[in-house]
Amino acid sequence: MHYLTRAKRIFPLLSIFLLLNVNIDLAMANELNCMMCHKHRGLSRINEKGEFRLFYINSELFESGPHRRNQCSDCHTDIDRIPHKPAKKVDCTQQCHMIEPSGKEKFSHKSIAKTLASSVHGKIDADGKEKEHAEDFPGCKDCHDQPLYRPISVFKGVAKHGVSERSISRCKSCHTGGNFAEDFYEHITSRLHKTRFSKEIIEVCAKCHQDPEFRKRHDLDDVVTSYKQTFHGKMVALGSERTPDCIDCHVVEGENNHLIEAKTVATSSTHPSNVGNTCRASDCHKNASEQLAGFQTHVTYDREKYPLQFYMLMGFKALMAIVLYFFLTLIFLELLRRLFPRFAFFKDNKPHHKSVKSREE
Amino acid sequence: MSKYDPIVYKDGKRYFYRFSAHQRVQHVVLFSSVLLLALTGFPLRHADESWAKPIYDMMGGTEYAPLIHRAAGTVLLGLFVYHTIYWMVKFYQNHLCKLKQENRLTPLNIIKEFFSQEMIPNKKDLIDIIHLWKYLLYFTNRPPRHERMSWREKFDYFAPYWGIPILGPAGVALWWRDELSHIMPGIVLNAAYIMHTDEALLAVLFLFFVHWYNVHYAPEKFPAAKVWLTGYLTEDEMIHEHYADYVKVMIAAGLEEEIKPQHFAGEHYGW
Repeated sequence: MHYLTRAKRIFPLLSIFLLLNVNIDLAMANELNCMMCHKHRGLSRINEKGEFRLFYINSELFESGPHRRNQCSDCHTDIDRIPHKPAKKVDCTQQCHMIEPSGKEKFSHKSIAKTLASSVHGKIDADGKEKEHAEDFPGCKDCHDQPLYRPISVFKGVAKHGVSERSISRCKSCHTGGNFAEDFYEHITSRLHKTRFSKEIIEVCAKCHQDPEFRKRHDLDDVVTSYKQTFHGKMVALGSERTPDCIDCHVVEGENNHLIEAKTVATSSTHPSNVGNTCRASDCHKNASEQLAGFQTHVTYDREKYPLQFYMLMGFKALMAIVLYFFLTLIFLELLRRLFPRFAFFKDNKPHHKSVKSREE
Repeated sequence: MSKYDPIVYKDGKRYFYRFSAHQRVQHVVLFSSVLLLALTGFPLRHADESWAKPIYDMMGGTEYAPLIHRAAGTVLLGLFVYHTIYWMVKFYQNHLCKLKQENRLTPLNIIKEFFSQEMIPNKKDLIDIIHLWKYLLYFTNRPPRHERMSWREKFDYFAPYWGIPILGPAGVALWWRDELSHIMPGIVLNAAYIMHTDEALLAVLFLFFVHWYNVHYAPEKFPAAKVWLTGYLTEDEMIHEHYADYVKVMIAAGLEEEIKPQHFAGEHYGW
């Protein structure tokens, strides 16, 4: 009720702003004022395919990611007027209007796309031919949505999530213009650790790798489920940020994260000759020997592929069944016996000890 | 031999000696470490379940729960070694010394003495198990008459003796995996992982359903048996669970005339 009256009071003011096309969201200033419409939570339509599309932009979320310094038209290049026709899909490899500071050229994600194309996830194989089921192979937006910064601060040796006012004040003593200090602080510190939570990365990979149809088409094991059964997977599920997710083991340390290679490729982190080094990378198992690589991570308990694990599991299951069924049956019968304490088909009325004889029965 | 009286009287009731303070303290250390291990281990084993994270966070989260788990595991392994030494000392004092005094210290006699210990399974246990099934299936009206240690208690006693040698070394291997990789292939850790998680499940399910039935859920024990605290059994419990031993202790105490008849399936209990 309170909000309603308040809304009524400010509505005339609001409509004046709208009519004058005044930019309300100053932080997202752009020449077309896209947020005039896209700030509305209900902005949506059903497209030609009958799919529901939501066009609402949460400016708070948008403002916490690296793309906040871009204008909408940097990526949505085909839109030059409002109202506009259905927009084309964004091509992440196009140049945006931002200048990449190290080389003074316009920024583009083209090099990432190139790396991805040479990885196991590329659509084209080594002979230049399109792979079977090429449509299954991921593009940028299959794994990435609008990224968010995850800044950290360190003070007196203690790391915490969030922006450190202490540190940023030091940047700002020289870099006074605009939001330069904030932007660079978040840009750098988000990359000092994992920009995405491990749980999120596993979800990203699971989108395809846990889909039974997909696995069948590409003849792949259920690596997500088997990962979730490992100590690593379980600690991640309980919120640990110190145990590895998919990326940590499937990308060579220091290599571009988009270069995930098949274990048959000699340079791959999971190639049998490299697994030892992968385990020892990043101080994870730094004291381990090469032999630690013999540990099988993605165990499916398949009799053919993992006989040791299969038979051990069967053994333990059998042992458990025998012990528990024996005792639980016994407990059940014992409780039942209490209903008819003296009943028996054959009665034995001999007392156990002679002195009890006179007093028993 | 023992500073404990086999029968004590309190408020006009008889109580029968079972466990010394030393043994009761060992039991407290055992169950405390096992409970801690279960509380810090099972949320991890079932990390995907909704109850896992709250319990794990309560136990210190991913930062401290593993430390508690390893500390409790170390205590449990220490207790295992301690109890084995304790048993060997007792065996020497109560059995080997006797043989020595009587000048009968031959290998055959040592083996005989070994099997005469109260917690070692024997022929009477087999007879009691068969007798129990006859009783449970209504073929006889008399429950088995157990000696000082019934076969169920022996099973309870030896469960840690089979569980800890499987769980303990596997846990140590997973803990010191990096160091171990210098002397053993990595696949040993796969085996250790299965041994640790699956034997733990068996142990916890056994404790929760079977052992806790014996000492908590059984109608005459509910909510809890007190022998682990007092070291003494009530006369009813003694008659119900150790009738053969009850008769023996009563005769030894010169109370032959006051021996009470055997119970039938929990009769004479106030439940």
